[in-house]
Amino acid sequence: MNELSQNLIFICLILVGAIGVLSYLFILTKKKAADLQLSLAKMRKSFDELDEQAKLIVKTDMELNKAQEELDKRLNSLDALQKTSRLISITLDENEIFHRLDQSLMTDLGFEKNLILIYDKNGKLQPKASHGFFEDELSFIVNNLEKDISLCDALREGNTFSSANSPLQRKETIIRLFGVEQFVLAPIITQNGMIGIVFFGNRAISSGITEGDEELVSILANQIGQSLENARLFEEVFRSRQSLELKVQERTKQLESLLEEVKQISKKKSEFVSAVSHELRTPLTSIKGYASILMSGKLGDIPAPAKERLAKINSHSDSLVRLINDLLDISRIESGRVEMALGRCDIFSLIENVGDMLVPQLKAKNIQWKTELDNRVTEVFADSSQIERVFINLIGNAIKFTPENGTITVRTEKVNDCLQVCVSDTGIGISEDDILRLFDEFYRVDNKINQNVKGTGLGLALVKKIIEAHGGRIWVESKLGEGTSFYFTLPLSKKVGENETV
Amino acid sequence: MSVNVGIGFSRNLKKEQAAREAAVRAIEVVGRDKIDLAVVISTIDYSPENTVPVIKDVLSPERLLGCSTAGIILSNSVETQGIAVLVVVSDSIKIGIGNVDGINETNVYDGGITLARRCLTDFGKYSRKAIVLFADGSLKNNTPLITGIQDIFGNVFPIVGGASSDTFRFSSTFQIFQDRVYNHSALGLLLGGAVDIGIGTGHGWRPLGKPRIINEAEGNIIKKIDGQIAANLYKQYLGDEFSSLHSNKLSQMAILYPLGILVGEKNEYLLRNAVDILADGSIVCQGDVPEGAEVHIMIGNKESCKNASLEAAEQARQALGGKEPVLIIVFESIARLKLLGRAAYQEIELVKRVFGYDVPIIGMYSNGEFCPFESVGEFKRSSFQNESIVVVAFA
Repeated sequence: MNELSQNLIFICLILVGAIGVLSYLFILTKKKAADLQLSLAKMRKSFDELDEQAKLIVKTDMELNKAQEELDKRLNSLDALQKTSRLISITLDENEIFHRLDQSLMTDLGFEKNLILIYDKNGKLQPKASHGFFEDELSFIVNNLEKDISLCDALREGNTFSSANSPLQRKETIIRLFGVEQFVLAPIITQNGMIGIVFFGNRAISSGITEGDEELVSILANQIGQSLENARLFEEVFRSRQSLELKVQERTKQLESLLEEVKQISKKKSEFVSAVSHELRTPLTSIKGYASILMSGKLGDIPAPAKERLAKINSHSDSLVRLINDLLDISRIESGRVEMALGRCDIFSLIENVGDMLVPQLKAKNIQWKTELDNRVTEVFADSSQIERVFINLIGNAIKFTPENGTITVRTEKVNDCLQVCVSDTGIGISEDDILRLFDEFYRVDNKINQNVKGTGLGLALVKKIIEAHGGRIWVESKLGEGTSFYFTLPLSKKVGENETV
Repeated sequence: MSVNVGIGFSRNLKKEQAAREAAVRAIEVVGRDKIDLAVVISTIDYSPENTVPVIKDVLSPERLLGCSTAGIILSNSVETQGIAVLVVVSDSIKIGIGNVDGINETNVYDGGITLARRCLTDFGKYSRKAIVLFADGSLKNNTPLITGIQDIFGNVFPIVGGASSDTFRFSSTFQIFQDRVYNHSALGLLLGGAVDIGIGTGHGWRPLGKPRIINEAEGNIIKKIDGQIAANLYKQYLGDEFSSLHSNKLSQMAILYPLGILVGEKNEYLLRNAVDILADGSIVCQGDVPEGAEVHIMIGNKESCKNASLEAAEQARQALGGKEPVLIIVFESIARLKLLGRAAYQEIELVKRVFGYDVPIIGMYSNGEFCPFESVGEFKRSSFQNESIVVVAFA
């Protein structure tokens, strides 16, 4: 019995112990479970908080993406605007401007439809560039836009309309007219006022118009206006220049024709002079011949008064013959019929001979004769007899117009491939007006000496012809009261001379 | 192996002229040999009724297919307006094409099977390397299409491609097959023979926020998430924006924040765009969604996108086994175009950096991509993805 109760007590004690341990474990587990629940709740809360942050991130990201999209759209539009502006500003051809506007750059501006209308000379709007419109739509737009006077007036005042900023009625009118939901309508203004209209639009209502879009279209409208103005201005200037050129051409033709006429007249004059001079020479020879016979007394004694008169006839005939010969020479040289016998000409000897020839005239007026000759050039390529005539004429004139005790100087100087000769005097000089006409045929300076001494007025004209026939040039420098210098050039060799033999 | 490739592009506003310019530029490179294949990719405003006859006239290609896109990828630019033509002349690549029209939710699986069979029609007993798909972008669920094709070609047969898109209107798109134009079609381009194809994919989107469980889903429709109506998920994240979102507007916003379904052991996410919200608050996705899967809202940025492009290019290069590529075709999600904006071309720069600057590149921005997905099963089984870049290199 005791053993049984001892066993029972032992078993009870074990059971109590086990229950105690199990209770302890239960309490421990429950506590752990509670802790885990708490951790789980905390984690769930963290997750939820993170999720809330994630939602914020998504919303922020959405805003950023919208902003980025808008920015991209703006950048693309600006890029397209810059390219378009550059393309249209570098051409001055109006049609080319519209051709360039018709390119795909216009759609890069971010609009589905675009249209540019320009007023023609009759004040009618004409579509010049378009995208997204059919022909009948364009006709509809043009006809109805012109009828809407208040809209046109508003545009003319520089107003830009868009679907974002227009009054409702106006907005609906434009939407109906162009068949879009979103639009920008801007005038093209120049110094001459409104010359056209620019339209951009989208069908989709989702693509809203912003202030940036309005600005973009306004800038483009300005650019188009400027380019058109430049092109029109250029066209005007170009046409004026063309007209001017035409007039100049016409006038030049007229002048050429007149010049030809003058040449013909001059030629005829020379031929007339030559013909008349030839005809005059024959009877003159007879007159002189008969006068000489009578003066010689072969036909009987001639009373002294008659002799005197015959001497005058002879003298005047001589003058007439000289005049006719000079005229004939000039005429022949002008027509190129004279033969210049070009060859080596000893200029030193020639000048010395002329000086010797004119000694009596020089001595008569006590005029000093000087020569300053360039030793580098002793010979020229010329017709000696003709050049002698030149010297005789020039020095003769110098003697005539130099008062007593004056000086006549002949200088030569090598200048490039020519010999430059200068015959200068200390005479009465020539005025500037007379210098201009000095080498004209029959021109004689109006002074006391010429009034008293007869002359033909052909001497210097002949001198000029002779020098020019040698390929040279003649000119004069003079001052009234201070003397005169005649300059002329002669070639030194064959190459320089133009008219060797005609 | 003889392969000649030419790519031409034009952004002329006159559609026929643009088509002619693009076609002429494409054959400038290959010459006027018989064109074995022409692929046309154009933005939506270049209506194929105007462009296809011109391209056929210029090229007289044996095979012609293509589709509309939101953007065209080229070696030197990304174009959001224009038409591009790829021509291939080859005596070593075997090509088979097929199309199936009028596909919708009820017949898309059968459509996949028919498409696969049609591609095989004239293919012969050549080795098959991959199939390129151009599918209608408005198709609500693309998974059955792939399943149908895989039932013919096998589960791990590489399927790459994209769904036709427009300029973010999520409206009507088009597909081109030979001389005909379709709006609800799927086109297949089966490639094989003496050609090596390297494929790389990536997206760059990362999970954001706490994980949720898809309690109830049927095919491509998610009914309940974490015990609530599915639409609540977007309502919580998009806030006030959500009330205005439905149909194409939802798509315009949601393509930046797709749903990411955690798949496999490698923590890869299958991305799904929400294309619609039903009256009962269910979300319609572009591909099947497994019930019971963990789902996150996903978020991407420019850097992660570009990194993913680089990785995809490197994967494709590695898969070529050291061979030099003659052509790169890129299919990219329109979400990436929206996200990257003016920086979109930087992705292509990275692709060029991997393959070399002389390799011709052509591609399109699509409304969903077909590509091998790493974590789906042990092998790279193809599936429908969103927000992805698929780089396909040919050697």
